[in-house]
Order: sequence, then C-alpha cells, then structure tokens
Amino acid sequence: MASLRARTTPLRALCSLQPLKRTTPLKPTLTTRSNIQSVTLPTRNHSTSSVSADELSHFSALASSWWDPMGPSRILHLMNPLRHEFIASCLAEGSTETTPSPSNPNSATFNYLDVGCGGGIFAESLARTIPLDANGPAPTPTRAASMTAIDPSTNLIQMAREHARMDPTVDAHLRSGKFKYLNTTLEDVLASTSPSTTTPASTITTATPQFDIVTLFEVLEHIDPKTSSPLTFLTNCLRALKPGGWLIGSTISRTLPSFILNQVIAEAPWPIGVVPRGTHEWSKFVNPPEVKGWLQEGLMRAADTGVSRGGASVAEDMSWKCVGAIYVPGLGWKMVPGSEDWGNYFWAVRKGF
Amino acid sequence: MRSISRAVLRPYVCPSCRHFGAGRRRFSSKLASPELYDVVCVGGGPAGLGLLAALRANSVTSKLKVALVETQDLRKAQSWNLEPTQFSNRVSSLTPSSVSFLRSIGAYNHLDVTRVQDYHDMQVWDGQTGSRISFDWSMETSPFEDMRTVATMTENANLVRALLRRITESGDENLTLFSNSTVASINNGSDLQPEGPDLSAWPVLSVKPTDPASTTPPKQIAARLLVGADGINSPVRSFADIPTHGWDYGRHGIVATLALDNPATPPFPASMRTAYQRFLPALGGPIALLPLPNNHATLVWSTTPEHAAYLKSLPTKSFLAMVNAAFRLDMTDLTYMMGMDTPSTTTPSDSSHEDELTWRIKHTPIPAHIPPPALAVQEGTVASFPLRFRHAAQYITPRVALVGDAAHVIHPLAGQGLNLGLADVACLARTIQYAVSHGMDVGDLLSLERYSSERYLPNAKIGGACDLLHKMYTVPGSGPVAWARSLGLETIQRLPFVKGFLMKNAEGY
Repeated sequence: MASLRARTTPLRALCSLQPLKRTTPLKPTLTTRSNIQSVTLPTRNHSTSSVSADELSHFSALASSWWDPMGPSRILHLMNPLRHEFIASCLAEGSTETTPSPSNPNSATFNYLDVGCGGGIFAESLARTIPLDANGPAPTPTRAASMTAIDPSTNLIQMAREHARMDPTVDAHLRSGKFKYLNTTLEDVLASTSPSTTTPASTITTATPQFDIVTLFEVLEHIDPKTSSPLTFLTNCLRALKPGGWLIGSTISRTLPSFILNQVIAEAPWPIGVVPRGTHEWSKFVNPPEVKGWLQEGLMRAADTGVSRGGASVAEDMSWKCVGAIYVPGLGWKMVPGSEDWGNYFWAVRKGF
Repeated sequence: MRSISRAVLRPYVCPSCRHFGAGRRRFSSKLASPELYDVVCVGGGPAGLGLLAALRANSVTSKLKVALVETQDLRKAQSWNLEPTQFSNRVSSLTPSSVSFLRSIGAYNHLDVTRVQDYHDMQVWDGQTGSRISFDWSMETSPFEDMRTVATMTENANLVRALLRRITESGDENLTLFSNSTVASINNGSDLQPEGPDLSAWPVLSVKPTDPASTTPPKQIAARLLVGADGINSPVRSFADIPTHGWDYGRHGIVATLALDNPATPPFPASMRTAYQRFLPALGGPIALLPLPNNHATLVWSTTPEHAAYLKSLPTKSFLAMVNAAFRLDMTDLTYMMGMDTPSTTTPSDSSHEDELTWRIKHTPIPAHIPPPALAVQEGTVASFPLRFRHAAQYITPRVALVGDAAHVIHPLAGQGLNLGLADVACLARTIQYAVSHGMDVGDLLSLERYSSERYLPNAKIGGACDLLHKMYTVPGSGPVAWARSLGLETIQRLPFVKGFLMKNAEGY
C-alpha cells in the first residue's frame, strides 16, 4: 500500500490525460489513413487537453460508419448488451442508495456519466432506458434517470447527436436534458461541479460528486502509459462518483493469449479477422491486476480532501468485480468468468461510503 | 378498439413539441407528425395476434405502444360462435411447442376446449406400395405415462378468438386495434427538424377504413418496428422491397368438415384419437383426415386442380364415396372413379359412385388402420385453395420484420404452416424483449438479426422437407422412386430412434 501512495507527479500535470475510445476502421487501412490526412480537425480547445491529434483525427474520420450495424464498429455494437448486463450485475450488489426506498424499489434514480462515449453506442442505448415518466418504474435493472456522455472529438459528438435524433424517445431526453452529449473532458466536468468557476484544476478534489455510475468502456487500452497516467485519470473518474457508486469499464489484457486473439487472429485479413489491422496496440493493453492497483490508489486519492488525506482503509475493503468476455464468431459475445487474461474483460469497482 | 388519443401519445412527445404538432396540422395535413408506435403489426391472423398477445403478456414488453391493422372486423372475430356440432373448415394442427407457447402467453385457456381435439397417433401410408408409418410417442414414453399428444386440432376462428380475448384482457393502455382498416400506403417519414425527431428512416403508414363510404380521414402512424403478418401477398414485404422466391404446386387443397361413423373397434384408451394420411401418387397428393370432437373430422385432400374441380362438383353422397374410396381403394380403381360422369343435379339420388365403391371394396384387401367411413359432409364446408411454396429472401430490413405467411408459405402435407408462424412470433417476441431489456432499438437491425438468424434456417428446413415429401409422393407407378420411398418409410418405422428424432424435429417447429 505504501508504495502505491508514493506521489511523484504534480496532480495538475496528470490531469491532462484525455482518454480516447478507439474502434475498428472497417475499410482497409490504406483508405482510412488517406481519409485521415485529408480531414481538418475541429477539435475543441480543452482547458487541460493533451489529446493526441492523430488519434482524434482517426476517430473523427470514422464518424460516418460508426452506426452502420455491418460497419467497422459492428463488434462494439454486439458487445453493448453485455455492458448492460454487467452494470445490472454490479447494481444487484449495491448502489448509492443506503436504504432502497420501500415504496418504489425499482424507480429510475441513477445518474450516469459515460466517459469517452465516442459515437454514443452505449450512451444512446442507456438513454433509451430512461423512463419518459420520471415517477414510473424503470424498464431495466440499470435504472437510469439521466445520462451525461462526454468525448473530446467534436465530430463524434456531433454525429452522436445526429443519430440520437432518429429515435423520438432519445430525442425527447436530449431536449429535456436528461440525456446530454458534451464535447468536453472529464476534468472540465469535475471543475464545472465545483462551487467556483475559476477553480484551478489542481483543486478539483473539492468538487461535489454527482454521478451514481461512471462508465469507461473500451477506453483504458487506448491510453499510452508512457505519456499519460491511467492512475490520475481513474482517480478523477472515482472523484465524480457519489459514495457507494460504481466505476465500471471494460478493456483488454496484455497477455500471450490476448496477443494471439487480438493481434494475430482478430486483425487477420478477411474473412478470418473481425477487426481491421492497426486497431489496437498491444503495448497499451492493461491487465486486471494493473487496473485493480490503480483503482486502489485512486480510491485513496479520491478520498483526499484539501486538508486531509484518505487512509489506506478506503482501498482495503473495495468491492472489485472482474469477468472476461469472449467473442465467438457466429455466436457473439459471451461472458466467461476466468477468461480475464485471454483478452477482453469487464471490471468494476464500488466507491465506499 | 378505440382510436388512440393524444393523451396516450403525450409521454412520447417532449413538452416543447406537444403543441407544435397540433398547430402545424392547421397549415398542412401532409406535414403533420404521425402518431408514434413501438410496434405496428399489419395483419390480424393467428401470427399477428399471437405477436401482440405475446408482447402484452410479458412484463418487459407490455409497456410498449403497439397497434394492429386488420381488414376484417375484429369485433366479429371476437364474438365468433358456432353450434357444438358445427365446425369451421379452416382448421389447423398445433404442435405441442405451439400449444406451450399459447399457454405461456395466457391465450390457451381462452380457447373453447370443447371444440379442440388432441390426437395421439398419426397413421401415414403410401397408397401405391402400402408401406406404412405410425407416428406416436409410444417408443418414447413408458406404458404407465399418459398418452402423449402428437398434435392438437383447433379451428383457426377459435384460436383467433382466444388471442383476441387475451389481448382484450390485457387492457387498452398503449394498445390500438385498427379493425376494418386497410393500409393505404407505407412511406418513409420526414425529418421534423428543428422541433421534433428525425423520422426519415421510420415507416409511416396511412391507415384508412375498408368501407369506401366512410368519411374518416386516413390516420398516419409511424412504426419503430413494422411487422408484416399480412399473408402471402404482404404489402409490408413490398414496402420493404424484399423479394420472395417459390413456385405454385399446381395442386389444390380440398377442405371439408365431415361426420364419421363410430370406429369398428373402440379406441383404447377411450380418449385416444388418430389422424390418417394416405399418399395417392396417381392423384397428385395426399388425403388426410384429422380428428375433431364428437366423431367429426376435417378433410384436407391435395390433388390436381382438375380433380379438385371434379370433386367439388359432386353431390354430397358421391363426394363422401370418393373420400371413403380414397382411403381404401387402390390407385387404378381411384383413377377410374375420378373419371366417372358427374351425376346430374336433376337426379341427386344417382348412386353410381357409392355403388362403384361398394362393389370394388369387396375385391380390395383393406389395411388394418384406416379411418371409419365418413357419413356426412357439413353443409357449405367444401372449399379449395391453391397450394404454393414461397420463401422471402430475408425476414428483416431496418424497422421491418416479416412473420408467418408473409415470410414463408409451405405445402400443407405436414400441417406445419401455422406452427411455423407461431414459432416466428414467439421468437420475435423474445427478440423484442431482449432488445428492450438491453436498451436496444427494437427496430434496429442489430436487434432484429437475432430473430432472423434463429428462424430462417428452421423454416427453410421444414418447408424444404414438406416440398421433398410432396415431390417423392407424386411420382406415380411402382418404379424406383416408389421403391425408395417405401424402403425409407419402412426403415424409419423400424428404427425408433430415427422416428423419435424426426418427431421431435416436427414437434419443435
């Protein structure tokens, strides 16, 4: 524990990490690359941005095919129902509610934050489950009352908003503000909740946590550990959570089976491969123990306040869930407990009260 | 039954555009925003009503806003009634899996069970070679168990009434039944920017009353998912631009409701009932007699259009003689009787067909398991319909799904058509339930592909098997095909595990 607590980098510098969600470009790499070069990047000037330009342009160029069910993001679309199931399994263990209201135990009360929403595959599907009648029962165990989805790519946010308009239910939520797409960063979201608008990023620890569930799907593996810090990023995610809330994500582990599955087989030429070549960088993959370590440290840091530091006890009894997911061609994604080291896996951590 | 009001629509429209829709109608009715539904089903037959009942019965999907458009009068269908001794000639056999689906959605107990008949054995034999197979569950069940049902006979009207009662029982919240209504047109919607959603990918139906004298203006309804349960000439399929492949068999199916004589030997156990099917290669198809309550039976006789026309032209007594002959006489005798002069209507007492049967039957060895003689035909029940094979190239396109006859029409010789349709809607209802519980758009291809991938192959398999049987059993004479099919039948009959496998397959779909 003690070594984890060692803080060597100024917080302000660490805050600059921008997560990027990366999906699979369907078209051959050549076409995609040439597209990217010709795209001018409408990137927002973020307050603490170190978004890498070529990553951002890469995803912006994918915008048009993001919602094509047979397009490059098909494999992500197919994974989406599992995300709902995993969230439901987390909420079954507990939530921000200390005592479930006896009158309406299944009411839609949870506020979600989706970090790195990309084209909105998960965010839109969750927004669809928000009941139009706020007092009515939640239609799904995810019990969403609101969804805030953020991404640094202006193009993707624009495209996500366009797509959301095609569903009257989601459109109604967008108009009522229960569903928000923000072209912003996690740090800005945290800063905006603090009392003073001029609060510098280094004091965002004073921000009021406002979310019951923060989701981080397929984001971690696109962070380069050499240039940015997943630890700071995860700490900020935890800061956005209310006590008892869940930080839930999915990523890919960096092991030999995962290398064979994700780099050799999945990115093989058609018809074997399901992911275009160059989609993932194996060196950026993250193993479950690494995530768990960061989260333990992150929980302690998130418990810090301006005057006192959170103790190690915060992390000692953390609720940690981790389950592998495997894509079987023809059958789709399956949760396979114990397969965490083979490739894709879901993880979740619950913030203590 | 009631048309939906704006109040029902309210939750689906954001507050800022509630007034807008009403206001704009004043300027242009064309631009008026349509009423939004989650599922719109065109066609109120057993498949369409089954889908609606299944959606209403499930707690996940019961909140969906659904509509059904049917050209017939659904109120009349719901109050359908017949004398206990009268039976409609549109009868279907439900496999045990169809029955369990109807039970699971709470519709089965709305069936009038006094009009429903289980059967526990099916005798099938070849009129050319005499080889025979008996489909029952005796090889699967112990002698101490109850008899296992092979299939359940029910009038379609009884089933439709049960499904309508089940739907009515679920209340009228979020439900609209457009009865006596037809779909005038289906088009893509428009983008209601900036005040409303973009409906350009949503099918918008214009629904108008079938009565041409009616002055009610057409209603515009938009469908998140449009389900085509609208039969072989499906307008929904045309809208979705889905091609369909197939052929006409050049055969007609003759149906009639018959009253049978008491069986020569009483069935044991007493409630045991048997269905009979005899292949008549020389006449172009099988004749089947399926049991109904009180010693009644429904006839399905597949034969050439010429023979069908001849049979329909016969007076009742001659028609009955032909039916009884078809289960007893050999091919040569039958072919001869089919060529006899039609007794003229002026001499209805002409008994040439009966005399011919009486005389020929004396010289024909009669097999053991044949149905009791048919004694009477219920008046007005002799009818015929063309037999066809159709299979849509695909079942789904964005926001459209086809079920039942709109997706596939098969030869009726195995009585599987309705069962395939019910299996379709059971699967589509499960698909919709999965989509709703996982935040998916029920009209999205990613949601619908679960339905299509689960149903396309089984439907093709059953349809293909029926087609193959038809083709094998329409080769007349005693050549190699007759020899091969007899060998096949005898082999299956003697190998219980093969027969069990086939029956389980037939039961499952």
